[in-house]
Amino acid sequence: MDTPIVPEAVAEASIAVPLRPPGLWRQGWYRFRRNRGGMLGLGLVALVVLVALLCPFVAPFAPNDQSAMLRGAARKAPDWVHLLGTDRNGYDVLTRVLYGASTALAVGLGAMAVASVIGVIIGGIAGYAGGLTDELLMRFAEFFMVIPVFVVILAVVRLFGIVVVGTWLESIPNLNLMTIIVLLGCFEWPPIARMARAEFLRLKHAEFVEAAICIGTKKRDILLRHILPNALPSLIVLVALGIGGAILAETMVSFLGFGDPKAVSWGQQLHFNYEALKVAPWAVLSPGAAIFVTVLGFNLLADGLTDAFNPRLRR
Amino acid sequence: MSALLEVDSLSKRYPVTRRGLFRARQYSEIRAVHNVSFRIEAGETLGLVGESGCGKTTTARAILNLVEPSEGVVRFQGRDIVPLFKENDRTKVLQVRRSLQYVFQDPWLSLNPRWTIGETLKEPLRVHRPEAPETWGARVEELLRMVGLEPHHAWRYPHEFSGGQRQRVGIARALAIEPRLLILDEPVSSLDVSVRAQILNLLVELQDRLGLTYLYISHDLSSVRFISTHVAVMYLGKLVEIGQVDALFTRPRHHYTRALLSAIPMPQPGAANTRIVLQGEVPSALRRPSGCPFHPRCAAALPVCAEREPLLTAAAGDDHRMACHNPT
Amino acid sequence: MLSTLASAADPTPMAAPKPLIEVQDLKVHFFTRDGVVRAVDGVDYGVNPGETLGIVGESGSGKTVSSLAMLRLVPPPARTVGGRILFEGEDLLTRTPKQMAALRGRRIAMIFQNPATSLNPIYSIGAQLSEILVWHEKASRRQAEERVAELLNLVGITDPLTRLRQFPHELSGGMKQRVGIARALLCNPALVLADEPTTALDVTIQAQILELLADLQARFHMSMVLVTHDMGVVARMANRITVMYAGRVCETADAATIFSAPQHPYTRALLESMPRIDQSYSRGARQKLPTIAGRPPNLLNPPAGCRFHDRCPEAIADCRRILPVETAIAPGHTVSCIRRGSPGIAA
Repeated sequence: MDTPIVPEAVAEASIAVPLRPPGLWRQGWYRFRRNRGGMLGLGLVALVVLVALLCPFVAPFAPNDQSAMLRGAARKAPDWVHLLGTDRNGYDVLTRVLYGASTALAVGLGAMAVASVIGVIIGGIAGYAGGLTDELLMRFAEFFMVIPVFVVILAVVRLFGIVVVGTWLESIPNLNLMTIIVLLGCFEWPPIARMARAEFLRLKHAEFVEAAICIGTKKRDILLRHILPNALPSLIVLVALGIGGAILAETMVSFLGFGDPKAVSWGQQLHFNYEALKVAPWAVLSPGAAIFVTVLGFNLLADGLTDAFNPRLRR
Repeated sequence: MSALLEVDSLSKRYPVTRRGLFRARQYSEIRAVHNVSFRIEAGETLGLVGESGCGKTTTARAILNLVEPSEGVVRFQGRDIVPLFKENDRTKVLQVRRSLQYVFQDPWLSLNPRWTIGETLKEPLRVHRPEAPETWGARVEELLRMVGLEPHHAWRYPHEFSGGQRQRVGIARALAIEPRLLILDEPVSSLDVSVRAQILNLLVELQDRLGLTYLYISHDLSSVRFISTHVAVMYLGKLVEIGQVDALFTRPRHHYTRALLSAIPMPQPGAANTRIVLQGEVPSALRRPSGCPFHPRCAAALPVCAEREPLLTAAAGDDHRMACHNPT
Repeated sequence: MLSTLASAADPTPMAAPKPLIEVQDLKVHFFTRDGVVRAVDGVDYGVNPGETLGIVGESGSGKTVSSLAMLRLVPPPARTVGGRILFEGEDLLTRTPKQMAALRGRRIAMIFQNPATSLNPIYSIGAQLSEILVWHEKASRRQAEERVAELLNLVGITDPLTRLRQFPHELSGGMKQRVGIARALLCNPALVLADEPTTALDVTIQAQILELLADLQARFHMSMVLVTHDMGVVARMANRITVMYAGRVCETADAATIFSAPQHPYTRALLESMPRIDQSYSRGARQKLPTIAGRPPNLLNPPAGCRFHDRCPEAIADCRRILPVETAIAPGHTVSCIRRGSPGIAA
């Protein structure tokens, strides 16, 4: 009974032949789609992105329009002209909330872009090289984790604001906001570096990486084509979570009055209006709700991504 | 004719360290592989057997320089390849890699989950035949057919395949650049019985067709009996017996080999009359017994066994060697 | 009370004893997002008092799921959707969860595949084993610990009083499995379910554990269900053997018959496809192993008729359409194959 070896393959072939089956990303999307929380998060994030893109067209007033103050219409309750009322500076609350979305996204995405680049490089090197390099880089990361971020940001923003006066740097628009973004990025990277390190460490000894070593694949290809793509899913989850965190952090900095005076930010709205909470609650509650929705959106999105990429963790 | 692969006094030691305040201090070492020597002639299959932790996989990984050997010579095609890896001269390393390939134990882990089968099979070609990318597609097709898969499988991802099919892909990847020696690390132990036979047959068929030489590592002695021409038995990092397959299976000389063979439950009710059940367990490699590492569990141990480590000596003819002071 | 039990009974098929546990037409389905997976689809087997039934099959054959169903422990998304499990004459599927909890570990005990994960790492051996006795038999802590020590001694653990204070990570794999066996035997169960009890162990340790199990079973006259994929292990341990394939039973017979005169084509092919350590294989014209073509079916969409027909060397046209029903072809030997005279249900 000398059975040929082929039938296993033939049996497989007869089920479904040329259809290109879904790749892993698409499978992740299928799983994500079935996660209600994740889809809600994606919807909220999409809404915020849409608002950020369209605010110049849909906002009823210009973001710097304080004319209501001149008319004595500051702190005016919502009506048909000012749908969410005006605040104590005479700004239209709705307009400022809409424009605030783009600032929030710039902060979230910008800070996490900086953090991802630093985190993946440092974590990747630490995980792949191991030994003393790993030890040093991880102690370095821990150093960044124990520094109180806010004190540093507040100090740097204030000092920087003084130093740049009279130099060419002053002409850069939103310099203050960019400083905050970069600083947030510089302090948000350690968790990403830790995750990247763990993933690189795990994947370094994965059998398919050893197989590549046996073949003689170059180190660069092993890192970029084998290890990094397999580490991405866990990192993306962390980045999505970090965006929400960065937005919240910028809000707090602005709330304390250290934000960029030229930028339209939800935190600043809170800063200017929190004292009038009883008189004009709309001026505080609206940006508050916007912050809540945005951060919730990114957190739910991260949750959904976790489920989609690590289906084994569930149940 | 000199052997295709000759391993001479290969050792791999791992330092055991305790983390100090500033740096790790070594206070002991584990001898994962200890003075292992064997040779494989072209066209043969050497089965390397032993229980978990006996060092069989470490031996294979040291040959491939996946772990750096602590001592010893690995002569492949007449050339010592250990210094070659140390010098890290890419062209010379690639020359060795081209003829010496590895098939991994777990077909679920050994394929990159984010690559299609085609990409996986092209990788060795990209490294070793960068000058002719136009030939890669045809070669991938040829390889898939060679291992009993279909050309359209190149577009699929690993997770769509069964274990047996994935192992076929792993074999195809190893064969892509026409190696001379394949190291097979438990290639069938994670597969179901009915699929196991298919893969074993495939390996035998490929060996005959392509003139391959195998180093077959397994704890499953029945598949070793089927596929090997020679067998080497390891215990606690040490080679205790080596010989031709039929001689070793029918007339084992080392007491450990005998116990190992008789411990395997035979698929035949009532076949258990000559069973030797070893007492105790394999000691930790950290507390390696003095002398012969097997002596605390050996029924025929002599006082000398605890004192002097037996060397591998000829048992019956030149081909059958074992390391025992008091062989059966 | 340990020593009062009679020595091993020799289970003779002649007397046709009343089964201790009987599984009738058991159906366990997994309700997944992709559809219903019929993991166990109409399975019958029984275990007589004092005997060992070996259930063999490849992964996905339903052997583990059907044994978990006996304890009503099938994990979600699986549900037992049909059949009866008669234990000492009562249907376990109609029992309340509370009644089942009182039964598990006391009358029916389980030995798990992986000794490393089946013990709780944060409790000492003594604590986690004596807790079972306190719970099931309302024993005092002191009595319980004495009995645990007695059992540890029985499963070949030296110095049990020291071991009581040790934690699982301090024991080797073989030792942990001995503790697992002691745990199963604590309450003198009538039936022990052992799911691949030696698969995670090395061969020389496996030999020790199998010897221990055989010895204990004979001494306490327990019934045992041994689930495994290893034909060698069942040959060593089982009185009777049930061969499963794709959620159905192919063949049940006493061990000698399964190995010497298997009737179902799957059983035959399975036995033939295994290389043997006691056989010399020629190297001139290289000998091949007989294989089973193809691979096990996807149970989301099992083949119509006999589940094995597309891999079966003896299949005829009717096999594609008729689902064979187990039938006795000799006393104690049942086969489900229409080529062996089984009746069938037309699809």
